[in-house]
Amino acid sequence: MRHVRDLSRREFLVRAGGTAAAIPTMSAILDACSKPGASTSGSSAFEIATPDHPVTLPMNGEPIAADTPIEQGATLQILNWAVYMWKYVLNQFVQQYGDDGIKFSGVTTFNNMDEGVQKLASGKIKADVFFPTIDVLGKLVAADLLQPLNHDLIPALQQDNWAAFQSPYYDQGWRYSVPYTIYTTGIGYRRDQIPDDVIHGMDNPWSLLWDPTYKGKVGVYPSYRDVMAIALMKNGITDLNTGKDADLETVRTDLLAMIDAVDPRIAYDASYNKLQNDKFSVTTAWSGDVVAGWEYTSPATQAAYEGFGYWFPEDRKGPIDNDLIAIPKSAEHPRLAHEFINFWLSFRHAMDNFSWNGYQPPQTQANVDALTKTEGLYSKRSSSWAAPAMYVAPWMPDAAVREGDFAIGYREGPLPADVDDHWHQIWSEFTAGVGS
Amino acid sequence: MSEHVLSGPRSRALPGTRGGFVRRWVRNPWRRPTILATVTWGYIVWSLLPLVIAIAVSFNASRSSSSVHLFSLQWWWTDPSDSLLHDPELHSAVIQSLKLSLSTMVIAVPMGVAFALGIDRWRGRAAAGANFVMLLSFVMPEIILGLALFFVFSFLLKFVPLGTPAQILGLVTFQLSYPVIIVRARLLSIGKDYEEAAMDLGATPRQSIRAVLLPMLYPAIFASAAIVFADTIDDFVTVRYLSGPSTSEPLSVKIYSFARSQPTPAINAAATFMLGSTIVVGLVAYLLYRAFTKGQRTGTGLGDLATQF
Amino acid sequence: MSGPSEAKPARRRRHRSGGATEEGVLYPRWFWPSFTLPASLWLAILFVLPLYTVISIAFGTVDQIFRNPLPVYEPWWWSGEQFGKVLDDSFGLYRHVYVHTFEYVVIASALCLALAYTVAYYVARFGGRRKTLLLALLIAPFFISYLMRMLAWINLLDTDGYVNKMLTFLHVVPQPIDWLSGRPSTVVMGLIYGYIPYMVLPLYAFLDRIDANLLEAGRDLGAGPARTFFRVTLPLSRPGILAALVIVSLPMFGDYYTNNLLSQSPRTTMLGNLIDEAYGSTGQGPRAAVFVIILMTLLLIPMFYYLRSTARSLETR
Repeated sequence: MRHVRDLSRREFLVRAGGTAAAIPTMSAILDACSKPGASTSGSSAFEIATPDHPVTLPMNGEPIAADTPIEQGATLQILNWAVYMWKYVLNQFVQQYGDDGIKFSGVTTFNNMDEGVQKLASGKIKADVFFPTIDVLGKLVAADLLQPLNHDLIPALQQDNWAAFQSPYYDQGWRYSVPYTIYTTGIGYRRDQIPDDVIHGMDNPWSLLWDPTYKGKVGVYPSYRDVMAIALMKNGITDLNTGKDADLETVRTDLLAMIDAVDPRIAYDASYNKLQNDKFSVTTAWSGDVVAGWEYTSPATQAAYEGFGYWFPEDRKGPIDNDLIAIPKSAEHPRLAHEFINFWLSFRHAMDNFSWNGYQPPQTQANVDALTKTEGLYSKRSSSWAAPAMYVAPWMPDAAVREGDFAIGYREGPLPADVDDHWHQIWSEFTAGVGS
Repeated sequence: MSEHVLSGPRSRALPGTRGGFVRRWVRNPWRRPTILATVTWGYIVWSLLPLVIAIAVSFNASRSSSSVHLFSLQWWWTDPSDSLLHDPELHSAVIQSLKLSLSTMVIAVPMGVAFALGIDRWRGRAAAGANFVMLLSFVMPEIILGLALFFVFSFLLKFVPLGTPAQILGLVTFQLSYPVIIVRARLLSIGKDYEEAAMDLGATPRQSIRAVLLPMLYPAIFASAAIVFADTIDDFVTVRYLSGPSTSEPLSVKIYSFARSQPTPAINAAATFMLGSTIVVGLVAYLLYRAFTKGQRTGTGLGDLATQF
Repeated sequence: MSGPSEAKPARRRRHRSGGATEEGVLYPRWFWPSFTLPASLWLAILFVLPLYTVISIAFGTVDQIFRNPLPVYEPWWWSGEQFGKVLDDSFGLYRHVYVHTFEYVVIASALCLALAYTVAYYVARFGGRRKTLLLALLIAPFFISYLMRMLAWINLLDTDGYVNKMLTFLHVVPQPIDWLSGRPSTVVMGLIYGYIPYMVLPLYAFLDRIDANLLEAGRDLGAGPARTFFRVTLPLSRPGILAALVIVSLPMFGDYYTNNLLSQSPRTTMLGNLIDEAYGSTGQGPRAAVFVIILMTLLLIPMFYYLRSTARSLETR
């Protein structure tokens, strides 16, 4: 068919990179003006990393020298999710480097990883640090958007953080990334409607999201990977990156059935606001969201605090993941960026941030078992909450993540393009209410 | 019979009509329009009541934005990190909103007025084409324009940084049609007689426009400036797609993104502050308008302004 | 009589010889078109060109690594693949989205018109001494953040919000109604609320211009209030009604935020949501562009109709 032939010809040009110059047409001029991702030096698709197939990312140049001086009078630029870094800790960083005249005016945020990558790739946002997820790391390196890290400038990784992150499967030898937070994806639930022992005694608590008893009070994230991963878990499928048609068809049927069964709401704040205020009874939840939710209860009473919980399989076989910090190639203050990462990875500051945003850092000095008994800094400083809040509330021990969990749990990694399209297609059908 | 008819709104019933009170009430052409009045005042309350509540929430003594728990100034200036006075994010949001609105107004209104003048007097195919494009930009849903501009700034006009420059360009494009439509409507009712008279009396084209036509257009110009300003302050569709670093997010975008999470009442305080400044700007514009049109208008001028749409 | 040519000093002769316009006003031919130049250029670069870029993306491709959209500007290399897929979906899986959008917009516009016309009519005809105050109150919503009002409404509509409290107190309903549970009625109300200020003012302006004598004449000829309204006022306000409808309903088709704010349910998805959702997802950029083109095409038809009728009415002046 004619249009297919045209498309493949176009693809050929795009892939061949330098051919753009050889074709003396308008398209050459326009090609030269097109996005960097298109005509990069013939870099074919990046390698997809899985725990069974770890990847060493290619070095895009050299990391900055260890003796580079800290940039003076710099305005620190951060590109991150919203509401993910405690302003108090950020201010501490700014104060610590006050002699260098560091300034900070706010975090540039994105609503989802696609948007974040787009902002970075378009070259219109100059960020010194960026917080990608694992599935885009390979792409970012392939598109030459990140710079390698100088390990000497970030001693905190080896000193304070779990050793596994010195050679994670997606970035062997931690060339480009360090871990930011670790978390699991489970179910948030109202303890006054589903007692703890009931949910722990169930065969398949994942199916709570489909239970018509909670019709109209089910919340899901607007995140296709997470919701579809839960649908996979519900059906006992443990490959969270599956491209199998049969698996995806099951997911599709289930998701569309959910619409009629429970009339779900799609909300960003399903698990840190709505659940806590009894607007939702059951939600998809990242562990950090539920843990930090105590701050959003209104009114702030102990009863409200104890009203919600987090469930994750006892055998720790569920979705588990971590976020990353990386330095973009276009960073204007790379030396400062290294200092920033080192600061953020060190024990004290990482734990302080944890007390605020609820997401656990992989700190060796933190006794995971004691998290439910230790009060965090934010709770001590908070003016809106009188009772002490532990790092992790004692009635949601599943929310704490242990080092061994990473070997047992299932990771969400990057998907090949056609598989990703298939996933997106199913998700679009869900959000558009097909079949309802 | 005629005395009864001419006694005006005071009379409640027409003599000579049979039937009960209700029937006479329905038949009376001079009765007070109670139903219409109720509907109108009901509409006004429906329209503005949430505003009162939103302002009240900004004085909440708790962290809740859903119910009113008066009274505290913590969200205005007493809270050391989250209040309007102390939160740099809210500052930059408010400043950005004002910056965008004023720049858009200053660029869009003169261009729009010039276009309206030109298109009104110019006939021909090209004129019809330009007119069509202008009207198209008026009814175009904003999401289309925002998305299209985002694409054009990402792929073609790459020298334009996302953020304030892109936002201003986008906003002006979206608002350009307002002054055009308003001024054109006014021009149609003015007609060409005054300019012709002026030129008969010896004025050059430029003089006649400046001294005769333009002053007659003041109500339209001011009305469109007010509309452009108010519309831009509130805009979040175009601005959201074209925003860059966090400092370029105006208050409207911040409110929209907070709407999805849990806002603190500080955002209500920021919005109330914004409302206050808009009212101030509106009043200043109104007073300027009255000064400019002294001798030209009858009454307060507000009616004139409102009829410009 | 001595015409202008003799009275004017010599230097003005060259203006006159430049060619007068049809009305006989003595402006050179290039004079008025030049006024339109800045705005026309602006629109050409920042309106027409972006629309072309959208088309190029819809018929374009995606880059290999990030699957961001890649526009293809030359029409001969356009690929109809995405377009075909989306069209298929639109007639198949997503048809209900179009149907919903159409339903909501039609109902919201109709109700908007009914309410706005009533209010405008009252203020224009019976405003009397309070007219200035009423006008100020009608203009006020423009100056108040739509989002703030909407957020306040979300709180009011909560299950334990004031609306439900009032309704149960007055025994209008036995139980609090869950307004925010993805009901189409809430979305329609949100649409009305958001767009009605844009309808009230133009309608007011139009109704205000209707000559009161015509209405008096109707009464004098024996028509009651209702008949005068239907036989005189309504036909006279038809152009105003048409304009107001176009101003409000066309942008409503692209609305996505009302749904996002008031109903987070997949069941009330509108066309604008499809666009916004596709824009934010990897590899879906061309899809978003195709939806945009479909939306625009659907809107062009009423647009053309509106333009022809305004052109005709302009010519009759």
